[in-house]
Amino acid sequence: MGDRHAPKPAFIENPLQVVEYCRYCLMCRHVCPVGHVTHNETLTPHGWALMIASAQRNLLEWNPEAVDALYKCADCGLCRTHCATDQPLPTGIAGARAAVVEEGLAPESVMALKEALERWANPFQRATPESPIKTGEDAILVGDAAYFRTPQTLDAAMQLLAATGVEPIQLARGRNLGLLPSSLGLSELAAELASQTIEEIKSTGCRRLFLLTPGDIYTVTRLYPERLNLGLPDHLEVIDLAAYLERSQENGLLRFEKIRGEGPYAYHDPEHGARIKRNHSAPRKLLRSLFEAAREVSFFWREDRAHPTGVVGGLNWVQPDLARDLTEARLQEAIDAGARFLFTEDPLALEALRAQADGRIEVSGLYETMAAHLE
Amino acid sequence: MIVSSLQREMIFSELEDVVGADHVSTRQVDQLIYSTDWSWMPQMWLDRGLIPARADFIVHPGSVEEISELLKIANAYRLPIVPWGGGSGTQGGAIPTYGGIIIDLKRLNKILEVNEESLYVCAQAGINGTQLEWALNEKNLTLPHYPASANCATLGGYLAPRGSGTISTKYGKAEDLVMSMQVVLPDGRIIRTPGVPNHASGPDFMRIFLGSEGTFGIISEATMLIVPLPETRLFRAVLFKSIGDGIEAGRRMMVDRLEPLVIRMYDPSSTASLVKKVLGYELEGAYMIIGFDGWEEIAAAQEKRAMLICEALGAKDLGREPGERWWNHRYDFYYPPLGLHLPQMYGTIETVTTFSKLEDLYWAKKKAIESHFGEIGIRYIGHFSHWFPWGASLYDRFILEETPEDPKEALHLHNRIWTVAVRTSLENEGMINEHHGVGLKLSRYMRAQYGPAWHLLASIKEALDPNGIMNPGKVGFGVQSNG
Repeated sequence: MGDRHAPKPAFIENPLQVVEYCRYCLMCRHVCPVGHVTHNETLTPHGWALMIASAQRNLLEWNPEAVDALYKCADCGLCRTHCATDQPLPTGIAGARAAVVEEGLAPESVMALKEALERWANPFQRATPESPIKTGEDAILVGDAAYFRTPQTLDAAMQLLAATGVEPIQLARGRNLGLLPSSLGLSELAAELASQTIEEIKSTGCRRLFLLTPGDIYTVTRLYPERLNLGLPDHLEVIDLAAYLERSQENGLLRFEKIRGEGPYAYHDPEHGARIKRNHSAPRKLLRSLFEAAREVSFFWREDRAHPTGVVGGLNWVQPDLARDLTEARLQEAIDAGARFLFTEDPLALEALRAQADGRIEVSGLYETMAAHLE
Repeated sequence: MIVSSLQREMIFSELEDVVGADHVSTRQVDQLIYSTDWSWMPQMWLDRGLIPARADFIVHPGSVEEISELLKIANAYRLPIVPWGGGSGTQGGAIPTYGGIIIDLKRLNKILEVNEESLYVCAQAGINGTQLEWALNEKNLTLPHYPASANCATLGGYLAPRGSGTISTKYGKAEDLVMSMQVVLPDGRIIRTPGVPNHASGPDFMRIFLGSEGTFGIISEATMLIVPLPETRLFRAVLFKSIGDGIEAGRRMMVDRLEPLVIRMYDPSSTASLVKKVLGYELEGAYMIIGFDGWEEIAAAQEKRAMLICEALGAKDLGREPGERWWNHRYDFYYPPLGLHLPQMYGTIETVTTFSKLEDLYWAKKKAIESHFGEIGIRYIGHFSHWFPWGASLYDRFILEETPEDPKEALHLHNRIWTVAVRTSLENEGMINEHHGVGLKLSRYMRAQYGPAWHLLASIKEALDPNGIMNPGKVGFGVQSNG
């Protein structure tokens, strides 16, 4: 389902205000992935909120240790997803980071990313290609990770869409969509990158926008209006590619040769999938349609409580040790569940999981696997 | 007590030798976060720009053997030890009042065994309550202890203060669900209680650690009774004109052994405020939730009997939806801004007594709180929950919207209100607490609670912890145990 008719989230004008509610609340502790791997009270939603509230009361100075702790939140959104009163704490933490950046106290790694994003519009320090001057009904947001790191994901997505009769215009090729700088407190830069993407969408006149990952869906449908006060064109239907492909497969538009692999397989719910209203069964149904007999095993941290790998919130650049621990936790979870094959569709997660798997488990892209078995 | 920076670094090195450098912290930011639990006192202190207390070291052991070594170091230096689970206590039990070492148990979070034949789970004490529950649910099982703090509390934290959960009326308190425990004694010895809870092989020493809140040792592992997820859970709401009728209805359900899962009756003040705010019902009277679970036909029959009791006492049946809505939103009461929060002053002054004294206790506390502090705008609300075959808990609270700006003045007022509440409980044969524990807040009332029997507890403390290192200032014990 697209979410064209979903109400537009409101702009959060004072993100720091939210910490006044969260600073003494512990009710989302159980889902925080960072708290789960660090076991440290400080590195939990309550810890971050209390830090920020304490800094406002001059009880804590933003010294390097405190700033380091502030930059350990993954901005994965699980705390908010599980909050009965929908407190937007991740936005509050991003707001506190913006204040830290403003005061010139941000970690060097954040400032290096800022420089790269300002110069290249992506953290990979690669030149972005010219935007296409095209109009059409359908478009797909490419972004930086799929374009530079796993182009095979994009190729596979295009191939699968073509098989359903859709040939979308590729937008934002090589450009970060704005989530990374927003997470790091680089709000102006996030707004600039987001504005460029919105302008590009408008210029095509497209009515359907396909998105490769839940992270991209979160960015354009929630982050833009809530954190950046920006919105997509009203007529635009935002489409989760996995959900669309699953419907196409149900309708007989997509057919696959069955995989005769014998080993059990697992699916890693992509980053940010828990913070949008996602059809979690869609990618699972697609995998079931691919395998002839292999057994599906489940993660404990799945669907609306899915823990991310370390590629969220810029952790892979700013907190590489923590990022490694998070990615390792996902791999270990799959291995402990007995999986021999692991699938996901987020390009950066795919890359991180593959890099750390070290032969213990075979990591594959969902779209790549599907495209390779198209009938 | 640490007297020099050199000594501090020497101790740091010893701690680092035990747990590794990554698992011991003296960072200012960690000291700040570990300075408060879920209780009002330290939160207010922080709110007014003051740090309540700082631990010298925050340590995250990864095994029971490491805990043992840490306690030996603490004894050598006479350093206070504060065990830390989820920091969700509401009585200040985890505040490092005298500094020292906070031992955070969250790395000890493994499920060691799920026995589906004898129906128990054995897990390390630092496991998060909801994570444990979710893991059991994957096997169609449940640990029937559902405290509001499950999302943040740990298994050890369930047991240390003798906690109750939402469905304790049928399944008992945490202390009724524990089969056995592994405990690290203050001198570092690691002991296990017998593998079964019911026997006649001498006194049940497991019980002395339940409610000791880390003053007698550190619970490092526990085996808990579990049950299959029920075939059905039935909820209904009824409305009583008076709390007396509601108490009588609850009493009859309990003495008739109908095995209700939940009986929760909000007094008219709570019904008009909390129930309206969280559930959206505008009602006059005492709103009661009644729940049953298990096999469908049995639960339905139990519910039918319960409804006959309610009907005979003049209750209005509100139907199933208001009961189910309460069940589905039962924890929403604790999320901000629905729950109590600063700048309000509040306290959960809950108690427990027998049926014959329960209503009198409620009215006496309401009168005492309102007459002593009515002029400053205090509100008294309560509900009756956690029922037993002999009585029930009165979960009552005071709330003050306008509080003194000066933190000392605010703290003193808070203590004065508590003293009135606790004295009234004691005068009416209520306990000073039913399930939140003693912690720091109620520590000074323990002698009044136990009278001459206090000597027994003090002697046990002296024998187990002669250096008084374990969670000093809590559960009535001082820095050095002195009876």
